[in-house]
Amino acid sequence: MSPLMSLSDLRVEFDTRHGRVTALSGISLDVMPGETLGIVGESGCGKSITALAMMGLIPNPPGHVTGGVIEFDGEDITRASNRRLRQLRGRDIAMIFQEPMTSLNPVFTVGDQIAEAILLHQDMSRAEADRQVIELLETVGIPEPEARAKSYPHQLSGGMRQRVMIAMAISCRPKLLIADEPTTALDVTVQAQIFDLMRDIQAKFGVAIVLITHDMGAIAEMTDRVAVMYAGRVIEQGTSDQILDTPLHPYTRGLIGCIPVLGRAAASTDRLPPLAEIPGVVPPLHLLGDGCAFAERCALADDHCRAVRPPLDDKGHPVACHHAGEIA
Amino acid sequence: MTTPLLSARKLEVSFEIGRKGFFGKPRLLRAVRGVDFDLMPGRTLGLVGESGSGKTTTAMAAIRLAPSTGGSVSFEGTDLMTLPAEAMRAQRKHLQVIFQDPYSSLNPRERVGAIVREPLDLMNVGDPAGRDDRVRELFGLVGLRPDQMSLFPHQFSGGQRQRISIARALATNPRLIVCDEPVSALDVAIQAQILNLLRRLQDEFGLSYLFISHDLGVVQFICDDIAVMYLGEIVEYADRPTLFSKPRHPYTAVLLEAAPSLLRRKSAGYRRAGMVKGDLPSPMNLPKGCAFASRCPKAQERCRAEAPVLRDVGDSRVACHFPLD
Repeated sequence: MSPLMSLSDLRVEFDTRHGRVTALSGISLDVMPGETLGIVGESGCGKSITALAMMGLIPNPPGHVTGGVIEFDGEDITRASNRRLRQLRGRDIAMIFQEPMTSLNPVFTVGDQIAEAILLHQDMSRAEADRQVIELLETVGIPEPEARAKSYPHQLSGGMRQRVMIAMAISCRPKLLIADEPTTALDVTVQAQIFDLMRDIQAKFGVAIVLITHDMGAIAEMTDRVAVMYAGRVIEQGTSDQILDTPLHPYTRGLIGCIPVLGRAAASTDRLPPLAEIPGVVPPLHLLGDGCAFAERCALADDHCRAVRPPLDDKGHPVACHHAGEIA
Repeated sequence: MTTPLLSARKLEVSFEIGRKGFFGKPRLLRAVRGVDFDLMPGRTLGLVGESGSGKTTTAMAAIRLAPSTGGSVSFEGTDLMTLPAEAMRAQRKHLQVIFQDPYSSLNPRERVGAIVREPLDLMNVGDPAGRDDRVRELFGLVGLRPDQMSLFPHQFSGGQRQRISIARALATNPRLIVCDEPVSALDVAIQAQILNLLRRLQDEFGLSYLFISHDLGVVQFICDDIAVMYLGEIVEYADRPTLFSKPRHPYTAVLLEAAPSLLRRKSAGYRRAGMVKGDLPSPMNLPKGCAFASRCPKAQERCRAEAPVLRDVGDSRVACHFPLD
């Protein structure tokens, strides 16, 4: 099976007041049809930029795609015209964002906004589109869809707004849905509803999902495969079970060890052991040297790590570490 | 039986939010509705719930940072609610707060050494000449370097700023620290650093925490006792092992089911066992019966007619007519 979306050796740079900074340095990722790929990492690791690159939405200026290839469904869209990208966006590739309030237009009803997306890409009358809006709102679990279609975004709760965004995203049956931290702004019970909805939609329409998150719990529950990013690179990649059960990169291990696992030792009356810590913080992109970007925070790092950047090699699954699998 | 450090009884907070017409009756939003809790010395009590559940308002009212409209709170035997202003101010050195957002809770124009020193000056703690030494010591305790004292908040990362907030809270040697979502704004790797630090400081100084969080994983890690709140009321109150292994209130069970966990895998075909529909109802028109009845999978006639009160069920206290086994 050939990948639906494929990034090879993608390089994205930004002009900043520190000069030109490399936000993505040689990202290679494949998304297979119908699967969910998770991209996980801390703030600033480049996961959202990766998503924007897939949509051809890197802001220019200050951003530039300076190398590599973005391929969607066999077509090279790296340098595709805006016209071609506009055809793909919303129809074949759709995206939902973290804050549904800022991604909906406050002065139009949600029904109008969903209809707009439909009319833009499909040949149908306004009346037909309106009927489809009601159907979509029903699909995403909004009660009283006829009445809600006439609501303005501010009249809906955060969870409802995110459902509207999902309705809009699936309105043209896209092949790929990119979800950038779709539940970060929501309460846990609403997050669970949205995750359940995304899974149902995937089962129903066979859409591939790229889920961008910082939450390893969401990765476990939602994804088939995972790419772990750090300072603009993929540092480990594999099936979700490989990454969660046998992480090889010390950073991935740290990310998993530092979260309190709900349900583990739930009944124990003893205090839970301290969490694993990753010391320090992510280095600023303009101060990255030649070596491994994680070396400064890594207990296994030696002079070799600080001098030579480890390539992404297959050591069971792809990992970029000179000391992959070793224990500190 | 030890006496509680902080104990709230029938705590009420209402906000007036506009009225119907100029001469109309004010409309009240009852944010906290008769909350009882006891925080034991050296322990951590978690207040858990979704946004709008009243957890922050409860904690702030309990230390008189928000006005309460009813009930009493006793801190080491003193009723804080009736204390005259000056006596309350004197109590403040025992009661400190760490806020959620380390970006807005530090004065951007003050050097961080001065920020940490300020409570010492305001409360007149210790000899003025020795206060800078105390600040130096506090910096060491929270994992910052004394040479960073002359920097400004913007020169620090989020995690470091939260360390500064912690140093400031510790300055007056408080007995109680209210931690209002102290790690929610931080990256996971930094969260772990701060959580471990809070626990270490608790051991070292015998601190008690009133810990507000919506993240059950964090709560399970740091809290000894937990109160689950829903629309201004405590619906379940239990110690950690009891709550997490045997949730009694359907809402607690829903929260546990909703939170993502590494133990739930898509690869193993994980499907969530039922989830509540909809969102929190408006606190303006509370139903007559149980506030959770409209979303509860187990709700019956009685739930909609009669509000349940908190009562003992097994090792927990639960406000539900039909608690889970």
